[in-house]
Order: sequence, then C-alpha cells, then structure tokens
Amino acid sequence: MALLEVKNLTVEFGSEDRPFRAVDNVSYSVDRGEVLGIVGESGSGKSVSSLAVMGLIDFPGRVTADSLTFDGQDLLTMSPGKRRAITGKDIGMIFQDPMSALNPCFTVEAQIMEALKVHEGGSKKERRERTLDLLNQVGIPDPKSRMTAYPHQLSGGMSQRIVIAMAIACNPRLLIADEPTTALDVTIQAQIIDLLLKLQDDSDMALILITHDLALVSEAADRIQVMYAGQLFESGPADSIFAAPRHPYTQALLEALPERSEGHDRLRTIPGVVPGQYDRPAGCLLAPRCRYANDRCVAERPDVGAYNGRDVRCFYPLDDRGQPTGQTTGETV
Amino acid sequence: MTNQNTQSSTPETAAAEVVAVEDQKINPPSPFMETWNYFRKNRGAYVGLIVICFILFMAAFAQWIAPFDPIAQDRTAFLKPPIWMEGADPRYILGTDAVGRDILSRLIHGAQLSVTIGVFVVIISMIAGIVLGLVAGYFRGWIEVGIMRMMDTMLALPSLIMAMAIVAILGPGLENAMLAIAIVQLPHYVRLSRASVVSELNKEYVIASQIAGAGHMRQMFVNILPNCMAPLIVQGTLGISSAILDAAALGFLGLGAQPPLPEWGTMLAEAREFVGSAWWVITFPGLCILVTVLAFNLMGDGLRDALDPKMKR
Amino acid sequence: MLGFLLRRLGDVIPTFFGVTILVFLMIHLIPSDPIQMRAGERSIDPERYAELQKEYGFDRPLVVQYFDYLGGVLQGDLGESFVTKRPVIEEFATLFPATIELSIAGILFAVIIGLPLGVIAAINRGKWLDHLTMSLSLTGYSMPIFWWALLLIMFFSTTLGWTPVSGRLSIMYYIEPTTGFMLIDTLISDEKGAFISALRHLILPTIALGTIPMAVIARMTRSSMLEVLGEEYIRVARAKGLAPMRVIMVHALRNALIPVITVIGLQVGVLFAGAILTETIFSWPGIGKWIVEALNRRDYPTIQGGILMIAFVVMGVNLLVDLMYGVINPRIRHKR
Repeated sequence: MALLEVKNLTVEFGSEDRPFRAVDNVSYSVDRGEVLGIVGESGSGKSVSSLAVMGLIDFPGRVTADSLTFDGQDLLTMSPGKRRAITGKDIGMIFQDPMSALNPCFTVEAQIMEALKVHEGGSKKERRERTLDLLNQVGIPDPKSRMTAYPHQLSGGMSQRIVIAMAIACNPRLLIADEPTTALDVTIQAQIIDLLLKLQDDSDMALILITHDLALVSEAADRIQVMYAGQLFESGPADSIFAAPRHPYTQALLEALPERSEGHDRLRTIPGVVPGQYDRPAGCLLAPRCRYANDRCVAERPDVGAYNGRDVRCFYPLDDRGQPTGQTTGETV
Repeated sequence: MTNQNTQSSTPETAAAEVVAVEDQKINPPSPFMETWNYFRKNRGAYVGLIVICFILFMAAFAQWIAPFDPIAQDRTAFLKPPIWMEGADPRYILGTDAVGRDILSRLIHGAQLSVTIGVFVVIISMIAGIVLGLVAGYFRGWIEVGIMRMMDTMLALPSLIMAMAIVAILGPGLENAMLAIAIVQLPHYVRLSRASVVSELNKEYVIASQIAGAGHMRQMFVNILPNCMAPLIVQGTLGISSAILDAAALGFLGLGAQPPLPEWGTMLAEAREFVGSAWWVITFPGLCILVTVLAFNLMGDGLRDALDPKMKR
Repeated sequence: MLGFLLRRLGDVIPTFFGVTILVFLMIHLIPSDPIQMRAGERSIDPERYAELQKEYGFDRPLVVQYFDYLGGVLQGDLGESFVTKRPVIEEFATLFPATIELSIAGILFAVIIGLPLGVIAAINRGKWLDHLTMSLSLTGYSMPIFWWALLLIMFFSTTLGWTPVSGRLSIMYYIEPTTGFMLIDTLISDEKGAFISALRHLILPTIALGTIPMAVIARMTRSSMLEVLGEEYIRVARAKGLAPMRVIMVHALRNALIPVITVIGLQVGVLFAGAILTETIFSWPGIGKWIVEALNRRDYPTIQGGILMIAFVVMGVNLLVDLMYGVINPRIRHKR
C-alpha cells in the first residue's frame, strides 16, 4: 500500500458561485522510500496541492478529495488534533524561501526544539542533544555556536539547512520539499539537493520534490508528474518520461531545457502564460499554447487516460517520434 | 474594470455605464476617478462622507434651520427635557439648558463653530507646515536641522498640554484656541512634507527640471509639492477631527470658546453640574462631537486606503 | 546595543534643551509681564516694580536669564508657586503619584482590553467579529473623553450608584500617604475597607482615561497581526504541527508586538493629555488637575514647571520604550 494516496484532490478559492480552482482533480501516490518529482510552471498548483496535503489551506480556500490517506489513515475525516500529530512528525515540509521561513524572534535552537517538544517530548537536555545531532546531520559547520544564533545572523543556504533540520527533526516518513532551492545561490542549490537525497536515502523516507526545474528532477526523482494550471498533465517513471514525453506540454518543457537546445541559436520557449482565474479556456487548458491544438482541443476538455503505461491528459498523446497520435495534420489550427 | 461585468437593473444606469465604459476605452480613468472608486467601496468611509455632508449643510444654513436664536433665553422654560419625556415643552425638541436656551438650536449653531474651527485650523497649519517642510527638505543643511529640531521639541509635549500652554500665553478665547491648535498640529505637516520632498528630490523629473533651469520656487511648489499631496490630504482630514476634539477639550476646560457661544465643548462645561439631574444637556453636545469626529476619522481612514498604492489590490 | 542606546540619547538631548527653551520663553511671551500679572488688578508703584524685577532677575539679558533658569532646572529648582509659595517641584512630587497610579491603571486597562481585541479581529479578518471590534475601537478613538467620563458618571454613579462620583478615597477613611499610591497605602494601612474604596474610586477614571489608548492599541495590534500572519514562518510553524493557539500566541504575537510596543509607548503623551481632563472631571488630585487650576489662577511658575516635568516624563518613557524595543527585537539587539 502506498504511503500517501491522493485521489481527485481539488482546492478552490474565491466565492462559491465563481470559484477559482487552483488544484483540479489531481491524483497521485507516493510509496515508502520513493522520490516523486512534481513539475510545473508558476501557478500550476503544485505548491497548493502539497499545502492541502499538509492541511495548511486556510478558510477562504476549500479542499475536497475522494480520498486523502497517509499510511492508511484518512487525513480528511480525522480530528484536527490528530491530524496535527501527524503533520510535522510523520510528514515534514520545506519551503521555498528560507530567509522568511524562520521566525526572526527565536533562536535556531528554540525553533528546532519546539518541533521535538510537541511531538516527542523528552527532557530539555535530550532535545538539545538531538538538535545538535540534527545540525550535524544537515551539515552545519560549528553547530554548537549556531544553536543560539538568530535567523538574521544566518546566510540563505545556512537557513535552508536549519529549515531542513526542523522538518526532519521527528524522523518523518514523508518529506515535502517545495522548491527548496529556488531562492538560493546557484552554487548552494546542488548542495541542498544532495543533502535532501542523502537524508532520503539514509532513512528510507519518501520525498516529494516540487520544482519548476526539469533537469533537477530528472536526476533526483523516481517518478515524475507534470502539472499545468491545477491539472495533472502527465505522470510516469522519470526515465521513460525523459526518453519519450507523451504530452505536448512535457515535450515543450523538455525542449526548453538548455541541454536539449544544442545547435539552436536560442532556447526554445513556450509562448504565453499559465491561465489565471479569469482567462481559463473552455477546452483543454493548454490549447492556446499548444502547437498541436485543433478545434476539438479548443472546444472540449480532455480527461486523464492511460497510454503506454503513463497517465496523460490529452486527446492526442505523442508517439515515440514525438508526433500526436490519432490526429490528421490537416486538422491542426 | 469590474463594471463591465455587472449587469445593471435600470436602463438609465446601464446607459450611463456604457458611456463610462466607452470613455474608459478612450482614456484610462483619471487619478481622481480611480481614487474615488476605491473610496466608494469602503462602506465606513462612505458613511463618514455622508455624515460630513450633513454636518456641513447644518453649519452652512444654521441661521435658517435652527428653530431659535442659540443665545436667546426663555425664562419660562429652564431645563426642560426633550419632547418624548414627561414634563417637556413641545417647542423645544431636545429640551432646554439651565438658562432656558433651546439645545437643538445651540447644537446646530455649534456645528458651524466646529466646522469653522476644524477647517481653519487645518488650512493655517497645513500652509505653514508645508512651507516649513518644503524649505527643510529642499535646502537641507542647518535650516533643516533647525526646523526639524523645533518640531521634535513640540512633539515631546502631548498636544492638548502644548495647546494649553499656548492659550496660557495668548489668553483664553476661541481665536486663540484655534491658533494654539494650529501650532500644535504643525509638526505633523512639516514632517510629512519634508519626508515626501526628500524622497521626491532624487527622482529624475526633478533633476531634469533643474537642468532645464527651474528656480527654487518653481521646483518646490510646482514640481515637487503636487507629488506629495496624497499623504497631506489624509493627514489634513484626520487633522480636522483632532482639531475639533482639541477645541472642544479646551472649551470644556474654559480655555477655548467662551460662553454664551454655543461651542459643543463649552456647552458641556456649562452642563457639567447637571450630571445627576438633566442627562440631555450633557448627552447631546458630546454625541455631536463624537459623531463629527468619527465621521472625519472614517473618511480619513478611507482616503488613506484609497490613496495608498500599497493597499491597492 | 550600547551604540543604539547612545544614539537614542543623542536624539533626546537636543529635545531636552528645546523643551527648556520653550518653557522658559513662555513666561516672556505673555503680553503683560509676570510681575504685573502677580499684582493683578491692583496697580503697582514703579519703585516696588523695579525691586521685584531685580528680585526675579527680569532686568538681565534673556540669555543670562535662560542659563540661570536651566541651572535651576538641572538642580531640581523649578521656582515657587505664586499662590501657595511652595516650591513647584515639591508640589509636583506630592501630586505625581496620583497621576502615575491613574495612568498605570489606564494603560493596563488599554493593553488588557485592546491587545486581545486586536488579536481577535485579526484572526477573524473580514468576519462580523472583526467589523464589530474595529467599529468599536474607531468609536473609542474618536471619543471626547471629557464627555465619556460624564456619561460614565451619569450611568454608573448617579443612576446605578455602583461607583463614587469623584476623589480617590471615601471621606470615611484617612490614610497617611507613605508611597503616594492610594492602592498601596490603603493596603498596608489598618483601615478596613479602605482598599476597596480606593479601588472603587479608581474604576471610572481608569476606563475614561484608557479608552483612547485601548482603541489605538487594538487597531495597531490588528494590522500588525495581519501582516505577521501572512509571513512564511507562520506557515512553517503550522507545518510543524503546532496547535493554532500556540502559533498565534507564540509565533505571531511575539513578532506582532514589536510595533505595538512602540505605539503603547507613544500613548504616554495621550495619557497625560487625557489625565488633565479625567482628573478635572473626577476631582482626582493629580498633575492634570493641578495644572488646570494653575492655568485658571495664572500661576505661571506652576504652569511652567508642570509642563516641563510632563515633557521630561514623556521623553523618558519614550526612551525606555525604545530600549525595550531593542530587547524584544533581536535584530536591533545585535546591531553594533
């Protein structure tokens, strides 16, 4: 059985009569010790879906799902107190901007020990020792002196290591990392990813890596799912997605990678932007930006279907040569 | 452009909206209209504006609206309660005070005094404050240090105490109280305009204008001042409310408007001894002060939200 | 921290001199001069006038007079009251505890009511509870407190008879002042019921005085809380699985308090201005009532001294608040 099982998760904001769906019927699962990469542009709903898993969507937002289970327990129906006992203990989360993720009023030590105190108790001395271990584990040099430091005294990379230490303090079985390297210097990014993968490997923890960087997940993830405007577009094993994308959007994303643009003068781009609240197309959400879109794509919205061992949301999934199937070229707009 | 989406119910407004929409297609909404649209969405500010209009109307037409002369005494009707109470005199809707003056008439004429105080104080204080602030921010150096130190000193004293000290020098009375309050409010305008000038001074349009040969006066008043007006307008609105409040407090302490002027604070001072016997002589003047001050504060808050670009969604 | 302290002191010193100059000049700006004032309606013969001028030093240059005055102030000499002939500083010292007692009660009331109101409004942002608390606090902010005090007396004292109308203590008791704080003095005295009486006398003035600061604190707390609640570290705290109460009370409030503390400090000026009105209405024998009486009697040395002392207290408290700000905000504490 999967560790985390998400079925038809939907998150809506705004008024009841004209809601905005930030996440639209997304399903996925993560197994023990597995690394799942969630990829998409800004505004694709990848962060919101993970916040929903953490139970961090607030009042104006509405979360619904057919099922949302962690280790067999239903997260949606359990009491808030019971859910909090899982959040932060069995599921940890790392956020995008480490500089604002730490509370400026408290020391590093206090913030890590707080998580330990809530979930594991123990004496203050034990918690302090564990905190020191954690700082060592995440590669903080001279951890003893950093214990009493305040966040404003730390660099971005250092802060992110502290945030990671905080998230793994209670040995979570699932770690969600939401763009953990976006706000960091390029030189630090690789170190942080290596650290995350090492921690994941050491403790057989499951890891959800959310990013817009395809190259990054290609190396790190076992499975990948591609999201667009709140919808799941394609999911499958990492290697096969890279070898043969089945969705035109995945194909376009891959073509936009610098390493795939050798021989071209410019990087390939995807024209346009992700649709927002007011400009969602009636048909396939990608239709205005898709190079293969035809009249059917503009009029009808496709469902997710299985194709060659993948889940793909497209009327005309791509074949091994990268050409749409079941579509005559004449139909293209 | 939300009004394009809303369906209006009456044909007139629909037509007006079409016109408005067409206008907007040609020109973007003027800064005034944009601010007005934000302001209108704020219910509190809107209510404040309506109340202010009502008070202004009362003040402007006090002579004709008020049923009686505010200082005429009726020796047959001392301390008559409002008409819905037992023993009331039907001529006096809100009752009479200890010397038989009609309270309603006094309140209406009091509106005139309070509005005058508020507006005059803010105008005097704002003009003087803007000039001092512009000079300080524009010329910098020892002029700035001198002016700003003086303002810091004035801010070290609570406003009412400062005003009392000035009245102690000038002597009690309405005009002196107004002058005192105007002086007390000065530092706010000086600080605001200086801060805006300092931040505007480094912008390219000022430098460009300087290169084009604009003189000091033109720079200060034509180029820079209009760009600092938004916070000053907000402060001015809030200044009116605090001027009315301070003037009433001085009147209450016997340092402001002198009897028999129907100033609300002075009325309260005269009514103090009836705290146990005649609730109406105390309740109504204070209520007028509260409502007026509240209205100006509501509008000031609304204006600040509407004019502050950070607050705009 | 030391540098921060010195910088703040550097800002205060010019203001100190400014205030002394202002207060010193006050007496010289009066249209008629102080000696004539003192003589009142009676005319004064020129010989006696010159004598008095010499006695008060009014015949010397203004600058010399100022430094004379400043020297006196620095040694705690604020002159003598025209009316009682007692040193102003002495009268101030006798009356000041009453004002402090009232002010502390007022600010406690303001913080105890205002802070939770602001937090509740922020947590319920946009709901009716938010609208209600914010309407209430704007009304409190706009309140003419001299009227508010009269309303409170009218309702609680004359109609319901729950609280006394004025004064600090029932005339049934006599308490020898030891600390000057009536609550403490009555508590350590043997008189039974005196403490309760003192407490009952304190209630209405406290509410009247604390209303405006309460409203200001509630508004500031709300906006500060809203800002903090949108911060990423609040989300992180919740992701740790902390209870909502702990997230709000520990993680959010601690950060939201930083600007609120400054605002509380700034209320000291508001409190003194309010004390003038409140003390006058409740016949509270403090600094406010003393200054108003001095104004009515044109007792200039008392007016001068009282204003000067109030300015010093306000400046002192603001300095203290700045230091507290340093303690509560680590970013300032560690700046060198």
